[in-house]
Amino acid sequence: MADVMNVGVNLEAFSLAINAIQALRSSVTRVFDSLKDGMKNKETLEGREKVFITEFQDNLQSVNRDLNELERLSTLVGRPSESHPLHNSGLLSLDPVQDKTPLYSQLLQAYKWSNKLQYHAGLASSLLNQQSLKRSANQMGTSAKRRPKVQPSTLVLPIQYVDDVISRIGRMFPDMSIELFRPNGTSAVLLVTLGKVLKAIVVMRSLFIDRTIVRGFHENIYSEDGKLDIWSKSNYQAFQKVTDHATTALLHYQLPQMPDVVVRSFMTWLRSYIKLFQNPCQRCGKFLQEGLPPTWRDFRTLEAFHDTCRQ
Amino acid sequence: MGVTCVCQVPVSEGKSVQQTVDILHKKLEQLGAVKQGNFWVDCETYHATGNATGQPSKLLYVMHNSETPLSCMALFEGGPGLSADANFDVLMVKLKSHFQNAKGHKVESRGVRYRYCDFLVKIGTVAMSSSARGISVEVEYCACVIPGDCWNLMKEFMQSFLGSNTPELPTVFTSKAEGLSVPVDCMDTMSQYLELFGRVRKQQVLPGSGVR
Amino acid sequence: MEAPPVSVMPVTGGAINMMEYLLQGSVLDQSLESLLHRLRGLCDNMEPESFADHELVYLLKGQQGNPFLLRARRSLLHPPAPWHLRYLGQPEVGDKSRLALVRNCVDVSASHGLPEVLNEMGFRMDHEFVAKGQLFRKGGMKVVVSKLSRVLVPGNTENTEPLSLSYLVELSVLAPAGQDTVSEDMRSFAEQLKPLVHLEKIDPKRLM
Repeated sequence: MADVMNVGVNLEAFSLAINAIQALRSSVTRVFDSLKDGMKNKETLEGREKVFITEFQDNLQSVNRDLNELERLSTLVGRPSESHPLHNSGLLSLDPVQDKTPLYSQLLQAYKWSNKLQYHAGLASSLLNQQSLKRSANQMGTSAKRRPKVQPSTLVLPIQYVDDVISRIGRMFPDMSIELFRPNGTSAVLLVTLGKVLKAIVVMRSLFIDRTIVRGFHENIYSEDGKLDIWSKSNYQAFQKVTDHATTALLHYQLPQMPDVVVRSFMTWLRSYIKLFQNPCQRCGKFLQEGLPPTWRDFRTLEAFHDTCRQ
Repeated sequence: MGVTCVCQVPVSEGKSVQQTVDILHKKLEQLGAVKQGNFWVDCETYHATGNATGQPSKLLYVMHNSETPLSCMALFEGGPGLSADANFDVLMVKLKSHFQNAKGHKVESRGVRYRYCDFLVKIGTVAMSSSARGISVEVEYCACVIPGDCWNLMKEFMQSFLGSNTPELPTVFTSKAEGLSVPVDCMDTMSQYLELFGRVRKQQVLPGSGVR
Repeated sequence: MEAPPVSVMPVTGGAINMMEYLLQGSVLDQSLESLLHRLRGLCDNMEPESFADHELVYLLKGQQGNPFLLRARRSLLHPPAPWHLRYLGQPEVGDKSRLALVRNCVDVSASHGLPEVLNEMGFRMDHEFVAKGQLFRKGGMKVVVSKLSRVLVPGNTENTEPLSLSYLVELSVLAPAGQDTVSEDMRSFAEQLKPLVHLEKIDPKRLM
């Protein structure tokens, strides 16, 4: 976990190159000085011209020599390492006022600390998972395949992998369609259409679900400039409640090592809303409670309950 | 635009139209509904003049709804319909010589609009030539567009304030060739109002006199 | 879900009377490119809109007088777009020096049930055609360059054959009644298009 910047620079050649630049500068100055001074005083005109021309030629040749020397040395100098651990923020280290604004060193510290934290958390979770604390051994949805350990950093996944996982999940259920968009950089935004009941917009961060917003089937999902509207709430209280429940579900279904299992579980849970208006509440037997249909779906059994009826 | 159900509520025994409407208002307010403005729905009748074949000409109904104030709906009873913008009325004026407006047949329903959670309830007094003829109740569940899905839910809601006057699933939906899982559109609502206005027109006797 | 504003009376007839001012001309297929080039230069700076429309002309034969004519148009490029229904009245019999053809015009946008409703009302389709071309705008003026094609099988818009070897050019303005400067502006714009195309007032009665 060493974060030392690899110095691929040949320091000796570097100092020789700096000297060569100084030599080149002085020879160029000599050229212009001799031009400025003009011809020296000699007896005959030809003599003066001859001396002037030879002096000029000597100066130019020295410039040429110095330039060649500099080119040779510059190829030897080499380039600093490409792999900045913090990419553009490595440029912060160029700030000379170190004691007043120790930004870069603090940044490095924070980065090292968070990397260590992630590593230890990964180790801890794999140990804890061996002692399962849940009563049911299977995760939600028997379609969840047990995958071998995924790459350690699940925060940076190739885009193609995310696309594949999402399209596979989209084919799981016939009445649910998932469209993938990337309006802002590499984060995927999914548009999940469930039958003719609702449309959900799910904002992802690599393969982790960040937030979700649920609106009715006939509501407008685009904002004024034609892009997907991922912020405005639904106009209807029923769907506002479903959005709240969906956010709770995101917090419930958590598994840092296998994010695709999490996405599958969430989609299975969301799919139970296909009968949002048709199922009565399992507890009170009625359809409406304070004007709302049963909007809560139990995380294990997927049964419908009113928000006020759940245990 | 959600699933709508329009039904007629008979006037209570021994009470006038206005009193029955007030009772309904009170029941809704007890449930927790909130008043949200007024509404009106009207219907004008046009019949074709100069019909060459001698058959009784079909009646064209042109309706307006305050929910969509910039539109106008034209439909035939049990037949095709269209929705157009407000210039359609101007066009009907140009068609004066071919289609006569039966001014005496204009029916309209005006009243108060209530909002309860995701439901919109409109209780209107149906009037023809400024005499009150009946009461119309429109219940709209805005969150859903498939009648088959939410009919039971709507029925439960209607029973809470209409009691025994709760209607059955409107024939507009049951008679559709594609079934109950087709999304609704504004023509379904207007067809239901047209049926109700038709029944009110045929009612010769003013409610309240108690004789049928 | 606020209640929409409620007006006291529904909108009845006698609203704003719009008049259509029209100048027409035609240009042979070979000269189309130069005309489009000039129009692109003269008109507002935007990409000219291409359109492909299917127009049906409906007639209602009454007991007396002329049959009532309605034009129903739908876009072939954007099938979900609403239909456009247009009524054009008799040309105004003003003084002969009126530079453009002036007619009362009512435009209505309608949903897709329009042909069935028109049939129920008693209208019968007289003829139909397909118009494809481009639309240019200059301020309030609209220039439409279109190729009209005959529909060979009723209802089938794929199978068409062009009516002629030329393009129809129409310059029109929709304005409320009583504005006379409109035809002056139209005339000066038409001058700029000469000699490529001569736009003039064509009296439809002369063609009957």
